[in-house]
Amino acid sequence: MKNNITSLFLLLMAMASGHSNASSIAFNKMVFEQLKQDNHGQQWLLILWSVDCPACIKELKLIEKLDEEYDKLPVILINTDDSGEVIPLRKKIISDHRLSKFENYHFAEDTAAGNRYLIDPTWHGELPRSYFVNEQGVFHGKSGLLKEKTLSKWLINVNH
Amino acid sequence: MVNAMKNSTALALLCLCLYSNFADSHQHQVATEQVNDKKAQCNNSDIICAKTVTSAFAPNGDLWRLWSHQEQMYFQFSHDLGKHFSPANLVDIAKEKISARNENRPKIAFDKFNGVYLSWATPRAKRYTADVRFSYSADYGKSFSTPITVNNDHLLTGHSFNELHVNDDGEVSIVWLDGRLSYQLRKQGKESNGSALYLAQSTYNKSSGKFNFSNTQLANNTCVCCRIAIDINKDNQLAIFWRHIYGDNIREFALLTLDRSSQKQSEVKRISNDHWKINGCPHQGGGISIDKHNRYHLTWFNQGSKGKGIFYAFSDDQGKSTSTPLAIGNSTQQAAHPNILSNGNIVDIVWQQFNGTKHQLWHQKSIDFGKTFTAATQLAQTKNSADRAFIIKKDKKSYVSWHRPKQGHWFQAL
Repeated sequence: MKNNITSLFLLLMAMASGHSNASSIAFNKMVFEQLKQDNHGQQWLLILWSVDCPACIKELKLIEKLDEEYDKLPVILINTDDSGEVIPLRKKIISDHRLSKFENYHFAEDTAAGNRYLIDPTWHGELPRSYFVNEQGVFHGKSGLLKEKTLSKWLINVNH
Repeated sequence: MVNAMKNSTALALLCLCLYSNFADSHQHQVATEQVNDKKAQCNNSDIICAKTVTSAFAPNGDLWRLWSHQEQMYFQFSHDLGKHFSPANLVDIAKEKISARNENRPKIAFDKFNGVYLSWATPRAKRYTADVRFSYSADYGKSFSTPITVNNDHLLTGHSFNELHVNDDGEVSIVWLDGRLSYQLRKQGKESNGSALYLAQSTYNKSSGKFNFSNTQLANNTCVCCRIAIDINKDNQLAIFWRHIYGDNIREFALLTLDRSSQKQSEVKRISNDHWKINGCPHQGGGISIDKHNRYHLTWFNQGSKGKGIFYAFSDDQGKSTSTPLAIGNSTQQAAHPNILSNGNIVDIVWQQFNGTKHQLWHQKSIDFGKTFTAATQLAQTKNSADRAFIIKKDKKSYVSWHRPKQGHWFQAL
């Protein structure tokens, strides 16, 4: 029941934000609370990325690679470019790296600072930024490209 | 079956309720998706449409401001320090993409003969590729030359984060981050890290009517996504301050000084020692300003294991040694993006903070060449997004320029 509501809720959010294909949903406080609630009790990874960040694309490629080998990786992606002009590129990157199966979110126009602060007031916007979230919902942030070994250890060993 | 229907109905009602609440409470979110339509309708020449604004004083004292929107650039000038501006003027060149958000923006400079010089980066078809572009006006902006590409490698690779300096006589220096070396290494199957720092120089050739830019590599292994800062020292030498990559992705600020006449370049000096190890993009460039005694005033941002936040230091020997770095701003309020300007004995530093709801512009001043600073004061704030702030000067007075997209450009004496 909870999952059904959550799915419908996210679908409606996608409709509200004008994305009929639900490729990406605008991120905000309510969405964040829902994400934390939905994933409570499991170990998951939150990755924040930008179209302007080459290292971010390398990290997305690592997720793409792991996804080819393992099902249901507990990964949630947030694009931090709060500018309408990047929407086509954002969609292309998600498509090119076959990431649409993951929950994809983005910072809507002019919301980057507020959303960054919401996620982590100590994060200054450097990218890629990853949060390792444990079963108790505790966030541990790390800046910079993650190593494949680190990703595998967090995403695969626990859940497969 | 009935129960199932009841459950479905309840679920549908609950979802409708949730949707209704969501739609009410997320008008901003919905609106943001409509912003593009709004922007498409907004007057192209309106400065509030811009993500960034670049301000500069012309030699005659006019305040200019330059911005881009929808693949075109616009400018205005003011004869009264920003109280009134001319109508927005289109830079009348063919439309092309212009990098103008966050660390990237078009640059403007002047000579003493009514020459106006523009430089910008134009993204190319492939991701992370761009060219550095240049255009010139001999008639104070009435017309501009057909743009030329400054980087001469003809490669589809990165060339961006350009900085522009023009002296009174029209000698042009453009510095940028260049990906040609890493492109060539990748083609050879070799590893590369970062970009290279490049310099182009030229003077207007009156007989040919053209600029012919040299291309010189100054350093390699620079960070790829932080703006560069430049200034001219008292010996008319170009000083460049940028984020460099040391060792295993330690991102620290570096400085070099270039003697324009002899083309001799000083050794690259490491300025910061904050040990910020990150294989990624800090998106935070530094600031440099050189005073009449050749003291280099420097500010930067790091998130290293040995230093976090904004720092200020000065150097009296072109970066061989520096004063003990002074922490600036409130790190718990996300202090970032500092800019600095010296003017006589005064050194001004501005930076931004964000308290969770508002962007704030902060300021500290020194009146003794950077030895001591006044307490920080807040200059302005805005709820919505904010561009980086920059300080410019006219004679003995310094001014801060701060653009707030969709709200307007703010300009004030310090």
